[in-house]
Order: sequence, then C-alpha cells, then structure tokens
Amino acid sequence: MVITTTRHEIAAPPRSRKRRRLRWNPAYAFIAPSILIIGVFIAEPIVQSAWMSLHTWSIGSAHHPFVGFANYTALWHDSRFWNALRVTCVYTVTVGLGQLVCGLALALRLQRTRWYTALLRTAFFFPFIASLVVTGIVWQFLLDPQIGLVDGWLHKVGLGTPNWLQSTSLALPTLIVVGIWKNLGFAMIVLLAGIQTVPDVLHEAARLDGASALQRLRYVTLPALRPAILFTAVLATINGLQLFDLSYVMTNGGPLFHTESLVMYLYQRGFVDFKLGNATAISMVLFVIILAVSLIQLRLFRYRDDD
Amino acid sequence: MKPLAKTVAALVVGAIAVSGCSSSSSKGTSASTGNAGASSAPAQGASSASSTGGAASGGPVVQLTIWTGFTGSDGPSYQALVSQFNSTHPNIHVTMDIQPWASLAQKLPQAWATGTGPDIATPSSDPGSIFNYISTNEVVPLDPAVGTGANQINSGSFPSSVTNAFTVDGKLYAVPANMATLVLYYNKTLFSKAGISSPPTTQADFIADAKKLTSGGNYGLTLADNQTIQMWPILQWMNGGDIVDAKGCATVQQAASVQALTTWSDLVNKDHISPIGQTGAQSDTLFSAGKAAMEINGPWAAGTFRTAGIDLGIAQVPVGSAGAVTLLSTVPMMVAKSSKHQQAAEQFLAWYTGQTAQLAFAQKSGFPPVRTDMASATYTNPDVSIFASALPTGKLYLAGQPKATQIDSDVYVPFIQKIERGADVQSAANSAAQAINQLTGCKS
Repeated sequence: MVITTTRHEIAAPPRSRKRRRLRWNPAYAFIAPSILIIGVFIAEPIVQSAWMSLHTWSIGSAHHPFVGFANYTALWHDSRFWNALRVTCVYTVTVGLGQLVCGLALALRLQRTRWYTALLRTAFFFPFIASLVVTGIVWQFLLDPQIGLVDGWLHKVGLGTPNWLQSTSLALPTLIVVGIWKNLGFAMIVLLAGIQTVPDVLHEAARLDGASALQRLRYVTLPALRPAILFTAVLATINGLQLFDLSYVMTNGGPLFHTESLVMYLYQRGFVDFKLGNATAISMVLFVIILAVSLIQLRLFRYRDDD
Repeated sequence: MKPLAKTVAALVVGAIAVSGCSSSSSKGTSASTGNAGASSAPAQGASSASSTGGAASGGPVVQLTIWTGFTGSDGPSYQALVSQFNSTHPNIHVTMDIQPWASLAQKLPQAWATGTGPDIATPSSDPGSIFNYISTNEVVPLDPAVGTGANQINSGSFPSSVTNAFTVDGKLYAVPANMATLVLYYNKTLFSKAGISSPPTTQADFIADAKKLTSGGNYGLTLADNQTIQMWPILQWMNGGDIVDAKGCATVQQAASVQALTTWSDLVNKDHISPIGQTGAQSDTLFSAGKAAMEINGPWAAGTFRTAGIDLGIAQVPVGSAGAVTLLSTVPMMVAKSSKHQQAAEQFLAWYTGQTAQLAFAQKSGFPPVRTDMASATYTNPDVSIFASALPTGKLYLAGQPKATQIDSDVYVPFIQKIERGADVQSAANSAAQAINQLTGCKS
C-alpha cells in the first residue's frame, strides 16, 4: 500500500489538484510605491503626450480634432525642426566626447589623493552641481562684448574681441565649451572611481613586461574603465539631447536659430504658440531618439562582469 | 588632521546653512513689502462715507486680483492707481501682482485655463497678444460695460487706432492699461562731447549724428531686435515702408521698406552704430550705462535713465520722407472668463480709464492719458506733453493681425537679425514676405 502510493506520487503528477492558495509575494508590496510614482508621473504623461500628438491640440480650446500622423508629417517638412535636431546632435556628440576626454585626462592626472588633488577635484566638480540657469547667466555676463571679462582680457592682450554669443559661427561652439566645462567634473569623478579600482598588480605586471605609460593606459586602464565609460557616455548623451536651460538662458535659441535645440523648439511650439499637438510630436520624436541611442550604446559598450 | 578637517567641514556647512536661511528670509521680506504696497487696508463693508463709484454698499468686500508686467520705473504709478481705487471703493478690493512680462506670459494661459488665474490681467506689452487669449476663449468681451455712464467704459474716448486694435469681430475685448509713443532719448553729455548742440530732427541728421557719435567705444544709436518694443519698424515707416498692409499681405519687400532697411542695416553692419542681437533690456542697460548716445524708447524708461544718472534729453523721433511717425505702444487689459466678479472687474476698468484716474496716472508717471478728451488738462510733469504730442503720429506694430506674435517671433525678428549681419536686404525681405503671407493666409 505504502509502496504503491509512493510510486504513484513519483510516477505521475496529479492532473486535477485542488488549487493552492496563491502565495502573496511581498516583493510586490515593496515596489508598489515606486511603480505608483513612475506610473503617475512618468508613464502616464508619456502615454498622454503620445495621445495628444495625434490631435490638433491648442491649450484652452474646446475641440481637439484627431489628425492621425499629420503632426509628424508636418515635422518632417519643417526645416526649423531639422535645424534643431542638427544643433542638438552636434551639441550632444561634442559635449559627450569632450567631457569624456577631458574628464579622463583630469582623472588620470589627479589620481593620487593629495591635498592639492583633492582641492582641484572639488574645483572641477563644482560646476556640475551649480544650477544650469545660474551658470548660463554668469557665462552670459562673462562673454558680453561690452562688459565681459573674456573680451576684456582678450582686448588687453591685443587679440580681437568677438561677440561670442551673437555670432552665427561662434555661438554654438561657445555653448559647447560651456557645456563641457559644466559636465566634465562628473565624468572626472566617475572615471576616477573606476581608475582607483584597477588593482595595482595589473599595473606592476604591465610595467614589468616593459609597457610604457601609454600602453598601460590602453591595455590596462581603459578596459577596466569600460563600465564607467559606458555609464558616463549614456548619461552624457541623455543630458545632451535634452539641452534647454543653457541655450535658453544664454542665447534664447541663438542668433538666427543657430543654438535652438529640440527642447527649445518644443517649448516655443507648446508654451508660446500654444500648439501642444506639434510640441508633443516633437517630444515623442525626442523620446524615440533617446531610447534608440541608449539601446545602441548599451549594446556597443556591453561588458561581462569579469572584465 | 582628522578632527581639524571635521571642524572645517562643520564650519563650512554652518556657513552655507546660515547664508541659505538669510537669503530666503530677505526674499520673504521683499515679497511682503511688495504686497503691502499694493493693497491698502481692507475697508469695512458698510461704510457710511460715500464713494464715487461704489456699487451696493454693505455686503462682503469683493476681492479682485490683477496680474501686470510693469516692472519698470512706472510700476509705482499703477500701484498708486490701485490704492486710490481701493480707498474710494470700500466694497471692492484690488490687489495688483507685478511680475516680469516673460514669466507672466508663461503663467497666465495655464492659470486662466485652470481657473486659478487673476480676474484682470495685462497679458503682454504687445497688443497683438489679445488674439491668443480670445481664440482660446479665456477672456470676456467688454461690450456690456461700454457706455458713457459713471461706471461704464467710455471706449469712444480712446484713440480710434487703440479701439480698433482691441476690437475683434466687432467686440471690444480690452481697454488700454497705458498708451505711449516711442520718443528719442539722447545723452546730452555724449552729444556735447561730440560737438552736437541739438538732437536730430530729420532723418539725414539722424544718420549723420549716429555715425558721428559712434566713437571711443560708444555707440551712436542702440537698437534692440528681440524681446523688446520694436524700434526697427519706425526706421521703415520714416521712409514710407511698412511690414504688412491692412489686408495682411506683406509689404516689407517693397521698395520704400527695402531702401530704409538697407540704409540702416548698413549703418549697423558697416559703421557699427549699434551692437547686434540685443534684447530690449540689454539695449536699455547700454543706454543707462552711458555707452550709447541715443535710444528710441517709451515713457517707462525715463525714470530708469534718470536714476542711472544720465543727463537725459527727450525729443521726438526724427522726421523722414514720409512725415512724422512713431510707434504707438499700448498694453491691453482684459477680464478673465474664469473670474467670479466680472462686473466688479469691469467697474475697475471703467474707473481706471476715467478722467480722474488718468489725470492722476499721467501726473505721476509722465505717460499721456489714454483718453483723447483731456487735452486741456494741465500737467505738472513736463514729460507728459512730449509723450502726448506724438500721439497723433503713432502707428501700431502689426495692427490687427491675429498672428501678430508669431509674425514677430518667427519672421520679423529673424529677418532683422539677418540683415543686421549683412545679408542682402531684398532677398531676405522676399523670403520674409513669403513667410508672412503664409501665416496670414494672404493670396498674392
């Protein structure tokens, strides 16, 4: 009897079984507040923006007719949109690369923790935590051709005093320089943390093998920094693509739209012209771009944990 | 080292905390003094003293809020009017909230759309902005309150150009909160240094003086091209040119306009009489700093310039081949549809544009009154007569165009910025004309 029962249990899983009470996984309770906040403040507005982008939506008007993808085709033919996209991409790529390269150089130079390196690291990191608007206003004053320090010094040295923010050729490069200055502190700190985790034995082994400093950098340090570089690159890209504060404060879209970013154009269309249909279409395009670029970067820079 | 580092860190944190506290408290004090200035003590409902314009005495005090953008030196004049109204109307209490035009333009549409906005507001210094608020259905027509009675808005007393600008589809939507013409401010010190004894009265003198005064790091005439009361249209009008005609078709590409713009853009681009790309505020600052000899601006700037210590001269805008002309600027004041006290709000507008209030306003601010039937009044403020005498020659910028704000920001401002940098005026004007016609729907 006992043997039969045991064999029966092992041999075939019972078909109809009384339903077990579902065990409540307490993990869901822990993530519920986050899900709620993300759902209400992030997911729902995204869905609603997508919905609005399919309509002609003016703030305050009674009717919002459905127009399908008309807003998107209008964007396709809008030269100001393509200009904003170009400005945003140029800014993102140059500021991202610039802050990585400068951040890496600074991190390598300020590796050892002495009193002066600690001071310098703080000084270079400070712009990152300063408010974007304050940074923009201060730089606007510094670059002013009448009263600014930069042109004042250039004048004393005898060089020309260009109108940095009003020149169609210099405005975007100037904005890029300010963007790099602002963000390199963050890259420096992240890469510094990465550099300091590289075990000394690897450096010693490389030195014993006769590697020069440059070769050590290339074969020991940089591979170990891949996670840090990926992190910085993704964040720098996402931040760069959302450029608004700096260009709004410093140039308000710049001389003849030369520094108008996608978000600035979105703001103009949505909150100055009150055409939310157009504005949400731009925001959806930006959303897709950021998503695509982030996915590409995560794929390109992927690393295994034992790297 | 460690305990010392901790002490230093603690001191730094303490210093930051203290500075943070003090800055926020000073902000609080200044905000409260601002409000105290605006509102007088609320009077009791059942006041026995008779008031000139009171509605039913007794009953609760109606609270009205106004949002305006008069952050200039003329701000106290409006506050004084509000205080005067509050003291003579015991059962209506008005609070004026002044903020920069840019933040007003951002906050007002949402505030009115959600019903949390003010009862009355001046949405922008640009009279063309009323169309945005009319089309989004956020303001009420004022025709029920128009008339010649004591508590009614006497729209017949406004200049016809102003009434026309504020009338859309036959309904009056706004009253003028102020009315002003642009005049030529000049720096007497810089003029005497350059050996010029009197301000220019003709266009030829104007150009010659501007060139002569551009020396030694100073500019002859400071021109703003964005975020400003527009000055460049005056330079076109002086020569008989214009931007759009009454039907909405572009005229900026016509010969008179192109000729004027070529002259002046060459002056800016080649003779450097003015910096390029300035906002209105930057241009005012340049003049206040004494680095520009002339500026075309309105009555609101006189106080700022005098406070800055400029030896200020005020003259009419020089006369060109088309005769005397200047820009008329008027700020619309509108009543919100979401207001719960529309009648009281209209009563305020009626009092505001009445003779008593306008006389007091003109005396204090130097602005001309918004009424045309007060020519015989005498003013102690000498500026008023200068500003008032140009009123007959004042033209409105993009008058009556529903898409005025878009034409300005998307077409006219970039066009001026292009020609300031040396672009060919005729071809830039042609593309601007095309863009304008597309916006206004003109078929030509």
